[in-house]
Amino acid sequence: MNAASAALIRLDGVTKTYGSSTTALKDASLEVSRGEVVVLLGLSGSGKSTLLRHLDGLELPTSGSVEVLGQQVPALKGRALRRLRSRVGFIFQQFELVPSLTVLENVLTGSLSTVRGPRLGLWGYSRGAKLQALEHLDRVGLLDRAYQRSDTLSGGQQQRVAIARALMQKPDILLADEPVASLDPESSDQVMALIREIAADAGLTVVCSLHQVDLAISWADRIVGLRHGEIVLDTATEGLSKAAVMEIYGRVATTTAEIQAVQAELADAAAEVTAR
Amino acid sequence: MTALDASTGSAAQGEGSATRGGGATKGGGPAGGGPHGTRGSVAERAPRPRISAERIAASLTLVALIVLGVLAVNEVGISIPAMAESWGNAENFFARVRGLSFPETGDLVWLIALTVGLVLTGTLLAAVLSVPIAYLAASNTTPGNGWRLAARFVGVLTRAVPDVVLAMAFVLMFSLGTLPGILAIGIHSIGMISKMFADAIEQIDEGPRLAIRAAGGTKMQEFASGILPQVLPSWVATVLHRNDINLRGSVVLGYVGVAGLGLEMSYAFKALNYGKGLGIALVIFILCIVMEIVSSTVRGAMLGQQRHTRSWLDRIIHPRLGARTPLPAPARAAWAATPQTAVRRPWTAQRIRHAIAGGLAVLVVIGGIVVSDINWLDLLTFWGRIPEVAARFWPPSFGNYDTAAMVEAMRDTVAIALAATVLTLLPSLLIGSYAAGNVAPGRTSRGAARFLLVGIRGIPELILAIVLVVITGLGPQAGVIALAVGGIGLLGKLIADSFEEVDRGPERALRAVGATRLQTYAAATVPQGVRALIGHSFYMLDTNIRAATILGIVGGGGVGYYLLNASQGSRYETVTAIVLMILATVLVVEGLAMWMRKVFR
Repeated sequence: MNAASAALIRLDGVTKTYGSSTTALKDASLEVSRGEVVVLLGLSGSGKSTLLRHLDGLELPTSGSVEVLGQQVPALKGRALRRLRSRVGFIFQQFELVPSLTVLENVLTGSLSTVRGPRLGLWGYSRGAKLQALEHLDRVGLLDRAYQRSDTLSGGQQQRVAIARALMQKPDILLADEPVASLDPESSDQVMALIREIAADAGLTVVCSLHQVDLAISWADRIVGLRHGEIVLDTATEGLSKAAVMEIYGRVATTTAEIQAVQAELADAAAEVTAR
Repeated sequence: MTALDASTGSAAQGEGSATRGGGATKGGGPAGGGPHGTRGSVAERAPRPRISAERIAASLTLVALIVLGVLAVNEVGISIPAMAESWGNAENFFARVRGLSFPETGDLVWLIALTVGLVLTGTLLAAVLSVPIAYLAASNTTPGNGWRLAARFVGVLTRAVPDVVLAMAFVLMFSLGTLPGILAIGIHSIGMISKMFADAIEQIDEGPRLAIRAAGGTKMQEFASGILPQVLPSWVATVLHRNDINLRGSVVLGYVGVAGLGLEMSYAFKALNYGKGLGIALVIFILCIVMEIVSSTVRGAMLGQQRHTRSWLDRIIHPRLGARTPLPAPARAAWAATPQTAVRRPWTAQRIRHAIAGGLAVLVVIGGIVVSDINWLDLLTFWGRIPEVAARFWPPSFGNYDTAAMVEAMRDTVAIALAATVLTLLPSLLIGSYAAGNVAPGRTSRGAARFLLVGIRGIPELILAIVLVVITGLGPQAGVIALAVGGIGLLGKLIADSFEEVDRGPERALRAVGATRLQTYAAATVPQGVRALIGHSFYMLDTNIRAATILGIVGGGGVGYYLLNASQGSRYETVTAIVLMILATVLVVEGLAMWMRKVFR
């Protein structure tokens, strides 16, 4: 791979099928360049999560090529794959912290790829690593919770811990799979703002899947719409109105449930416009 | 609609499905007759219940087993008159006891420490060995199906060979000491512990593990940071549970020469010093009860969330566990000022508590190992003796025993186990139901039933058997009664727990309909728990066959008697032959149990 391409992520004709009948991704092609903040927009089952998981080698494509940080992800194995994964942070919808470990230990698990062998408890990590983890916790505003069990925190706090864990990897790319779908509106605003801030500070490339259109418009630089595993929309958000996105997005909805969902969103958007 | 079409067969196909739906409910039918017009009553139209041949076979097997069990009870000759007859023996026996006597206090404390230490070390050894086996056996961590099968096989095999037999073999390999006992307990316990460990691994939340993989962690790191913290409470509970079982089982190890309370007791009984023998038996009984309380307290504290399965004893010892409130948001503490000051973990009250508990646990473990006084040198030298010892155990042969007699003895053992299981069933169901919070009429009756179960579980079956042998004389009667009584403690608890785990919705629905407590129990609780009931009963039969073998060693009849004789006469190839026979029987029962669980799913 040469350095000529500025794109950190390059998907080319990626298709993913499960068994013979289910197609999760269909001929998806996408390029994301350094520093971009991209939202994958789509209803549930549209293939957003599958696409994200391909970028981290958690799924292998049935056909097509997945290139991340200049490397062909499907070809990677063992240590090389782990090294790539360590440069890509992943934030999950359900946070996926280990409930019985302290917050600090959870953050430290983000640095596992830099050490050899398993770690049990806090003793296993160096003072430097601990200090770094505490700094990340301070960054997400949870320093005073460092030694609490992670399951004693609220959902929003847990997601912030998960962000600190991802930062511990010193990633180049941050992937987030519906990071606020399990959170109340106030926590989701906090978490989304935090991701954006951190991305700006560290110059991260962010790919985040969402299903809320207005959040996507106000938050991202660029929106990629998916439907039934196909990319149906790819546009910059600047100067884009919600109605415009909904219109493009609505045109591609075909099933009754989808049309209803889109209509509901459109009604919301219209109400918003008239309220102004 | 399509399902209806299919079941009513060749209905007129030209009609729209909407009309057909209407026609069915009105009972009329379109003009032109056809199948609709000639429809019979609801009873005729209702689909016949389909029963699979496999289910019939399984049910018949079940009935046959129960019938055999009842026949076995008959054959053993357990009846009220027989019991009354032996009452005279009991009076004689207690007349000869002339008061309990105990070893000197210093000796007694040493013996208790030695027994507990030996059991604890053995159980811990099993726990350590079980980790890799469980990792290979769990479906979500195993590297491949071959590994999985191999690990499961090791589990079944170690469970099937009685620890007494292992102890006999190890006594030959080591200079006398505690090591044979520790290794026997350690290896025999792998079967149960690794199975429960693997079950726990299969039940984890995969999310955290995935997160660590996504961060670039290795398989080992996934295990240590993602899986281990999740399974640890359940693993500790398993080890404690097994430790209780091993403590009760340690009595019999004394009979083959492993040091501790069991050995002292066997000496006392052999010297016809019944007072001392019973005194030691009482000490063991109290020790078992204390251990049971300690371990259930620790389990309760570690698995605090599952409040409804806590015994009332836990509630007395840990009354505040139930009323746990979420932690209030603490004011920003001084240590949390900057990351630099936060590197040192603050000593909160909770951390101090945890540190003390952890320190105590480590001390107990170290104490156990120190007390067992292991001759570590043996661990190095015994490898050289393996071929020699193995040669003495091979080839298997019944020697001067008649093969037919041996098969007959094995049949006796199975009969004892079957009879005991059948006798256990009813009382267990009764007491177990009362011990289930959703069935018991009140908290008091539940508490009393639970206490009764703990008390029964505390009695090592062997002590019961030894006392009974003295009372009723040698023979299967003592064995059956001992196993049947001991079984109530285990089966009753298992039944109570699985009744408490049923879905409460149907029970509420039936109460709302106006059903009585007994009707609700019969129509909602039992049907939901019946699968677990069958599973537990087979587990009981399985345990009883192994236990019946061991009971034979103390004179409870069956194949165990020959096993002890052969080993004491140093006819080890006969020991091997008998063990292989037991192994085959246990595997058959295990297979039967697996089949039953599959069919009655």
